[in-house]
Amino acid sequence: MKKTIHVTVNRKALELTVEPNQALLEVIREELHLTGTKAGCLVGDCGACTVLLDGKPVNSCLVLAVQADGKQVTTIEGIETPQGLHPLQTAFVDKGAIQCGYCTPGMILSAKSLLDRNPRAGETEIRKAISGNLCRCTGYQKIVEAIVFASRTSP
Amino acid sequence: MMAELGMGVRPIAGGTDLVVNMRRRTVAPEHVVSLGRIKELCAMDLSDRVFTIGACCTVASLAESSAIASRFHALNEGALSLGSPLVRNLATAGGNLVTARPAADLPPPLMAYGASVTLRSSQEQRVVPLDQFFVGPGRTIMKPTEILTSIVFETSPPFSGSSYIKLGTRRALEISIVSVASFLALERPGGRIQSARIFLGSVAPVPMRARDAENMLIGEIPGQPLFVKAGETAAGESKPIDDHRGTAGYRRDMVAVLTKKTLQAALERAKASG
Repeated sequence: MKKTIHVTVNRKALELTVEPNQALLEVIREELHLTGTKAGCLVGDCGACTVLLDGKPVNSCLVLAVQADGKQVTTIEGIETPQGLHPLQTAFVDKGAIQCGYCTPGMILSAKSLLDRNPRAGETEIRKAISGNLCRCTGYQKIVEAIVFASRTSP
Repeated sequence: MMAELGMGVRPIAGGTDLVVNMRRRTVAPEHVVSLGRIKELCAMDLSDRVFTIGACCTVASLAESSAIASRFHALNEGALSLGSPLVRNLATAGGNLVTARPAADLPPPLMAYGASVTLRSSQEQRVVPLDQFFVGPGRTIMKPTEILTSIVFETSPPFSGSSYIKLGTRRALEISIVSVASFLALERPGGRIQSARIFLGSVAPVPMRARDAENMLIGEIPGQPLFVKAGETAAGESKPIDDHRGTAGYRRDMVAVLTKKTLQAALERAKASG
């Protein structure tokens, strides 16, 4: 029996009809076609499916879509500003922090949540904040450098 | 609602365990009932004497609580070592108890504070000490009709301190090889040990109390040689197994080391408190 939920995805209020056992990840990718959110391990280990739920980063594979009822969801597609890419996205491109790119959306959203709370976060806090996002290319150094750069240059 | 739906129902809070098990098809509930919107379950209340943590408080909220960080160090350390930041934003305090994993990070610190849990069904409510709650891996004394609503413990006396150390091979997303939580209360600053509680994780089917080690501490002047002996005693009491995370012998050795270290840290904090 399908359930109707009301969620705000990337600032857009939506009414969705979902299966009760459907993960938020599946709804985002397969119903809303926002494929920037990646499906990785599907058990909450890798962080590829990270989205912001009411501003906090979570593994969207672990959240049932019905649990997101009434909440705000932000995916990687939702952080662009009217001026173009989000400063974190620009920093990732400029600093070569992207190899295969699979972990990138999750990395950027975890970093964004940190910098929204603490715009001048240092390297230790940055490394902790992205500790739930795994990069199989092992490109952590450049990822950290990009986030440090974004935090130093944020207005 | 759960009583109406009968046997095929499972409560869901953070979902970090249940959703994974449903995806692996190790559990296939007919219905899941979310506890996440029951406001009373998501509150933390710290009064003069008693600290009450609602079962649905997220682990992140425990890790970020300044009251916990300043007064309940072992719990702060336990919360910060659980899973990853992403998991902590979903996982709940109650969930980390009812899943009854031998390596779970919250039971040893909470047991070191002498915590109890409140269990409620539609018919009745009971309060059970946490050290009588676990039965075996994945098993507790809870009835299928009950939910865990809160965790309660008395606030610590003056001149007391606690510490939790988790041994793993990574700093995040780790299941502990061994973990130890210690609590010490002194008669007065620089005085003898008035009470001691030591709980070990990952070395028995349930989080276990190292009673012999506790007993040898009480009434003694705290110090390094005493803590080394207590560590060896705790190692002797532990019942670890060999598995892919570590051998029983290694685990026993690490119980000795971590017990000594947590006692040392608890002592430093006890001296600084009160």
